[in-house]
Amino acid sequence: MFDSSKVGHSFPPFSIDVERCKIHELALAIGDDNPIYHSRGAAEAANYKDVPLYPTSPTVFHFWGNTQMRQELVEVGIDVMRILHGEEEYEYLAPVYPGDTLTGVTSILSGKSRRGRDGSSMDIVTTETRYTNQYTQHVLSTRTTFVVRS
Amino acid sequence: MTSNVQATTKRYYEDVQVGDSIPQLVKDPMTHLRLVRYAGASGDFNPLHTDPKVGELIGTDGIIAHGMLIMGFVGQLLSDYVGPESLRKFNVRFKGMTRLGDVITCTGTVTEKYERDGEGRIAGKVQAVDQNGDVKVAGTFVAALLRRS
Repeated sequence: MFDSSKVGHSFPPFSIDVERCKIHELALAIGDDNPIYHSRGAAEAANYKDVPLYPTSPTVFHFWGNTQMRQELVEVGIDVMRILHGEEEYEYLAPVYPGDTLTGVTSILSGKSRRGRDGSSMDIVTTETRYTNQYTQHVLSTRTTFVVRS
Repeated sequence: MTSNVQATTKRYYEDVQVGDSIPQLVKDPMTHLRLVRYAGASGDFNPLHTDPKVGELIGTDGIIAHGMLIMGFVGQLLSDYVGPESLRKFNVRFKGMTRLGDVITCTGTVTEKYERDGEGRIAGKVQAVDQNGDVKVAGTFVAALLRRS
């Protein structure tokens, strides 16, 4: 059962350097050969300042930027072995480029327990991560909803 | 690899109408190798996506793809349609598991056109389905497009 007193809890900030090679690697893994993700020259030729973020790059920041996240969820009572990813949302507030350094702060936005007809219960927990850049500009927000089965 | 030679073409606000379909994207059949690559690229090393033995243990009957990889495919659809820097919002709900061999097709529709913060914006629905039409992810997006004038 999710402990609703944890709503509003913030985890320690984490830092991530935005790197061209990680964008290239993600696009390769997805199988997208659009040259803007693979070469700075191609990106510039298409009028981008540098290689742009992939639409789902923020999730890479989440996993590589904060390798403690699983442990942090355990510490607030979330059973990470029973997590299913329910929803993911990104808000892109300003351009982010290789060379930027982002600071991410994740907090628990909401959480509730639901009981199924068979008496089993599940928790639905949403976290939000706000990313600011090296100029303290808020550039990205991500929201992740987990379903935790008991 | 799928390719789209028009990927870097700018799409203007005036050229998009409510009800327009986004050109569909059909991905190659899902492979174990793609999941291993995606694990490394994303940092999501949950073994249920890469280790068939774990799939047997937890009863998923083999490995299942990262939901975020399927969201990445839908990201490619949107990147090809409007370009990555036009996106303002993108969200999906995960509806079903993707298995090895599944062929994912991503589609979308423009549902709104409006002005906000001095930008011409479009909003739409997107989804990814497998070869049987089973929905894997469904979501929405908002993008800001350049104006011709």
